[in-house]
Amino acid sequence: MKLNDNAMIRKEGPFAIINHWALAGSCILLTVTGFAFLYRIEIIGTIFGGFTAMKHIHNWMGVVFTISLLLSIPIWFKECSAYDKDDVAWIKVAGGYLSHKVTIPPMHKLNTGQKLAYLGVLGMGGGIIASGFVIWLFPGSQTLMLAAHMIHNLCFIGIAIFIPVHVYLGAVANPGTMRIMIYGTVPVWWARKKSPKWIQEVEEGRSHH
Amino acid sequence: MSRRRGGKIMERKALLISPELCIGCKACQVACKSWNLLPATKTKNNGTYENPPDLNGYNYNKIRYSEIPSDKNPVRWLFVSQRCMHCEEAGCMKICSTPGALYRTKDGAVATNPEKCIGCHLCLAGCPFNIPRYGKDDKLSKCTMCADRMEHGMIPICAKTCPTGAIIFGARHELIAKAKKAGYAKVYGENDLGGLGAIFAFKDAPKIYGYEDKPSINEMIILWHKYLKPLSWIGIGGVVLGSALHYFAVGPHKAEPPKDSEEVKDEAK
Repeated sequence: MKLNDNAMIRKEGPFAIINHWALAGSCILLTVTGFAFLYRIEIIGTIFGGFTAMKHIHNWMGVVFTISLLLSIPIWFKECSAYDKDDVAWIKVAGGYLSHKVTIPPMHKLNTGQKLAYLGVLGMGGGIIASGFVIWLFPGSQTLMLAAHMIHNLCFIGIAIFIPVHVYLGAVANPGTMRIMIYGTVPVWWARKKSPKWIQEVEEGRSHH
Repeated sequence: MSRRRGGKIMERKALLISPELCIGCKACQVACKSWNLLPATKTKNNGTYENPPDLNGYNYNKIRYSEIPSDKNPVRWLFVSQRCMHCEEAGCMKICSTPGALYRTKDGAVATNPEKCIGCHLCLAGCPFNIPRYGKDDKLSKCTMCADRMEHGMIPICAKTCPTGAIIFGARHELIAKAKKAGYAKVYGENDLGGLGAIFAFKDAPKIYGYEDKPSINEMIILWHKYLKPLSWIGIGGVVLGSALHYFAVGPHKAEPPKDSEEVKDEAK
């Protein structure tokens, strides 16, 4: 069954949308407060009602982030760990982000960059979560504390570089992507262009949308 | 307050501790508790006159009783005051996550403001001498070299109380000169960690007194705070710059609807 190009097709369900907002919100708050701790930025501490209040916000936002990241696994993990030759080709042309002249290989629901980004967030998020809980709950051991502090900071650098790229690509560099975060739906013609393999599967009746 | 905020060290003050002069009377311990309004802590007899067994949030200063017999003397007791060393390069201040919880006084002491402490315990991990402890309300609690007394021109209470001159207070360079004149070739803490604020006239190797030969801040803290921290700014700055460059040089991936979309719409009706 051929889909009408002007119809809307659901790309992500409400659970995924809420999950992504929880991840995004907690991640932004954690980054801002974390930066304030790292560089002792007094003005940010004042905005959050002092450094002690900011510590509680940071810790409990960490809990929100942990739960959201765990709940995201059933949504995206399987999809994000499947790679084929088109993914290799995608990496070779850098997703077409460096030049508009290259041909971008056909992608499934998510492109290679998005899939790798998810695995990156999962890995570094896992590191930052584990070390964060050590710093919070086991401050007694000097070695453990310093090692956890180190891991926390290293993962932070990774995430602090990763997430802005993700935000830029989603919000600015690919017009039409942001609406997925709000409505979860995209026009069929748009999906046909960005995710041809997925649309093909839907049209052939092999996949539900 | 801290030097970075405009305050300047007028003259670095220090405490010179001479174990050979200490008689182990613990008057300094008592005076410290009295001045700092610290409650007593219940301890157990563990076979030594050393008491309390360790520093804690209510003991800023402790006389360590080390029994180190030598060839000449089967009974040799070494008494040495254990307390915050007020390092010039202070690991606790490097790693602390809150502005003002630890600060440098104009006399060069590392003082605390428990009200600002958020209780993250990082300073504990940053200290090369295992000094900071947590006291009331789980706030950082340690020797401040009596910053409050010094502010009003008084000397630290331990030095004031010491009956033998085992703890004396003064200008740091004068104390070092004094110890050298008294025949101590090496003053412990003269150059360690940029110079300590508590310096020791040791007759023997520092190890015998319970101190490391070369105290140093853990490499992980140096690696992070000196080399990796700037990377996070470079990283974020690079991403913002790179995104802006990408936007203008390459441009977004625009997806235009198909040209015949209007017709399709009509058909759909």
